[in-house]
Amino acid sequence: MQIIYWIKENLFGSKKDIILTLLGAYFIYFIASIFFEFVFTSDWTLIEVNRKILLVGIFPEDQMWRIWTVFSIFSILVSATLAYSYKLNIRISIFYVAFLAIPFLIFTTINLLPYVLAILLSSAIAYTLIYYMKHRLDRKNLSRILIVSWGIFLPSLFLILILFGGPKVTLWGGFFVNLILAIIAILAGFPLGVFLAIGRASSYKLIKLVSVIFIETFRGAPLIAWLFFAWFVLPNFLPNIFSLNDINLVIRAMIVLSLFSSAYIAEVIRGGLQSIPKGQIEASTALGLGPIMELLFIVLPQAIRVVIPAIVSTFIAIFKDTSLVFILGITDLLRIGRLIPEQQQEFYGKSIETLLVVALMFWVVSIILSQISRSIENRLNLSN
Amino acid sequence: MLSHLYNQIKSQSSISEKLEVLRNDKSFRKFFVQFIFAIFMAFFLFYLITRAFSLELGFGHLTSRAGFGISHTFLVDYTSNNSRWDAYFTGVINTIRVSLVGIILATILGVLMGLARLSKNFLVNRIAAGYVEFIRNTPLLVQIIFWQLVLLQLPQISNALTFGGISVWSNRGILLPFINTIQNGSLWVLVLLIGLVISLVIRSYSSKYKEENVNFISPNILSLITFLIIALAGYFILGIDLYTDVPVLEVNQYGTYIQSGGFALTPEFAAILFALVLYTGTFITEIVRGSIQSLPKGQTEAAQALGLSNYQRITLIILPQALRSIIPPLTNQYLNLTKNSSLSVAIAYPDVFMVSRTIMNNAGHALPMLSLILITFLCLSLVISLFMNLLNKRVTRIGA
Repeated sequence: MQIIYWIKENLFGSKKDIILTLLGAYFIYFIASIFFEFVFTSDWTLIEVNRKILLVGIFPEDQMWRIWTVFSIFSILVSATLAYSYKLNIRISIFYVAFLAIPFLIFTTINLLPYVLAILLSSAIAYTLIYYMKHRLDRKNLSRILIVSWGIFLPSLFLILILFGGPKVTLWGGFFVNLILAIIAILAGFPLGVFLAIGRASSYKLIKLVSVIFIETFRGAPLIAWLFFAWFVLPNFLPNIFSLNDINLVIRAMIVLSLFSSAYIAEVIRGGLQSIPKGQIEASTALGLGPIMELLFIVLPQAIRVVIPAIVSTFIAIFKDTSLVFILGITDLLRIGRLIPEQQQEFYGKSIETLLVVALMFWVVSIILSQISRSIENRLNLSN
Repeated sequence: MLSHLYNQIKSQSSISEKLEVLRNDKSFRKFFVQFIFAIFMAFFLFYLITRAFSLELGFGHLTSRAGFGISHTFLVDYTSNNSRWDAYFTGVINTIRVSLVGIILATILGVLMGLARLSKNFLVNRIAAGYVEFIRNTPLLVQIIFWQLVLLQLPQISNALTFGGISVWSNRGILLPFINTIQNGSLWVLVLLIGLVISLVIRSYSSKYKEENVNFISPNILSLITFLIIALAGYFILGIDLYTDVPVLEVNQYGTYIQSGGFALTPEFAAILFALVLYTGTFITEIVRGSIQSLPKGQTEAAQALGLSNYQRITLIILPQALRSIIPPLTNQYLNLTKNSSLSVAIAYPDVFMVSRTIMNNAGHALPMLSLILITFLCLSLVISLFMNLLNKRVTRIGA
């Protein structure tokens, strides 16, 4: 009975509602019929054959252990952090599992299953361990351990990929490149963005001017123009030592993406700086803190805490924007998705199929990140 | 100030005490830090400039013959014999065209979807939510390429869809029926725009006097009459002859199909437009939803208590108040849309970026061309911000 009442109330409340519901139902039917007809009539062998290329490009087979290592450490650390920060929420967990299942089902083959299961198992163990430890152990120590391990892991990520005869950067490709580009852009862009935000809020006129010019210049032109800058002009501005002016296009793209994201992060953090109540600054002056101490211990921690959700949103935007390196000819996921139907004769003309998978990959990662951003936001609202 | 500082330093005996005075003086510290920073920046700039001189500089190459055709020209006549400046200008026009149409359509879509997102109707609400979640979380570039591929799936021109002779849909483009005129058409559109501005000005002036009860007719009717007079005057003076321009699909004497007439959407223009509108629409949806949700609930209840209909409640009570918090983030989205239109380089719609890239390929001079692009986009952003700031001023003034 309750269901019938609910349907009557929410779908057929008035004449207008009835019309809207019928139109909406037809619209859903229309989109769903096109979509499912396409999905079930298409031949998806091109994805089955090209799984590895889509994910990592032409990364050499004997070097794959590097990516597996990075991936497993990352997975374990993420589960540990989640266990530490959040209570187990069944609804949100189902959400994460459902979305992570999509790439799992598309890309896992029988050969890879043991590896994937081992990673899943160790992540699950890490999760349960931290989840039950966090009440018994001192919370502060645990958080220190987590922060230190993230601090060690993130820089060593690149060492694992490069050191001891790692493959050249030119061999990087696929979805892996998009992820790496986005992570670098945000890691390098964040500190620079903090400096720029402080510079823009500073009372030192010259520093303020330079920060404003930097931020507005990078925000003024589209990213694609900056990527072209990286392609054609940037080598000329790099110093001539260590053959820096001859570096790979992927690294040049990283430099420009970092500068670009720093301008956007600076604007986000500026919003956080403005939200600090004046009493906080007066209190820190009354305590006798100098301007640098005040910035480091009072203003910045509060400002950054407030804007973490917005920074995650910036990260999502940058992550989606990494698909633009396609135009430079870097073999990222989108470019590989475009190349497969052009170069493999048996799949000629199947562009929409690969494009849908490419879109799906970006979509899954973005939607998980936006859920994380929402969780952080909810928690901030609660603690306020 | 300085003499005060000087006296203070002089009064100290040892050097360390003198330095201590300097260290504690706020204005000196400010000066010192900025001085060091200035020296550093000067060295950096010097380095950049010396480096830049090893590149091709100057805009001289833009005056020579372009030598390449542009597939979409709008309002301007451009052939490959024109100069590169003309080519660049054609690109600017194309960017403005796609951005302007995109901004208008994205706003309409965003407001509708934002209202749908707040609808009590479960299905409508979920459709709007699904639209936002699907479109917002995939890269725009992927969507642009997707729409181009979809439009190229339309039938070939020899068996184009005609929908009973009113429209032509083929993979060469979509032709829609349109009202057209034989001569002076664009001039009349200009007259109409001027008339619109004049009537709006008259409306705002006469509504000022409305409070003093001195005007004879309502400002709305007065402005409508003004607009009609200007429109009709233009119509007769320019000798406008309106007719409905129905697109046709025909076979010419060589036996090949051609489609002509009507309002033409090429696959490239349509793809970039669809993608930009759908993508920016999701952000506008969220802005509209957030702003309306942040209004106190009492406003809705008061409107209902006054007996206003749903439509009146939204247009008279909710939207005007929500606009105050909508406009600043909306301006940001308009700027993003304009900048994102440069992604059309991926599907060969000749916007300013695509044309510049062609010029760079033909004649080098990458740094000047990129600076020109930067300046162009800064100008476009300034115009949009200026316009939106005016609008914002108007909106925040109401009832303040």
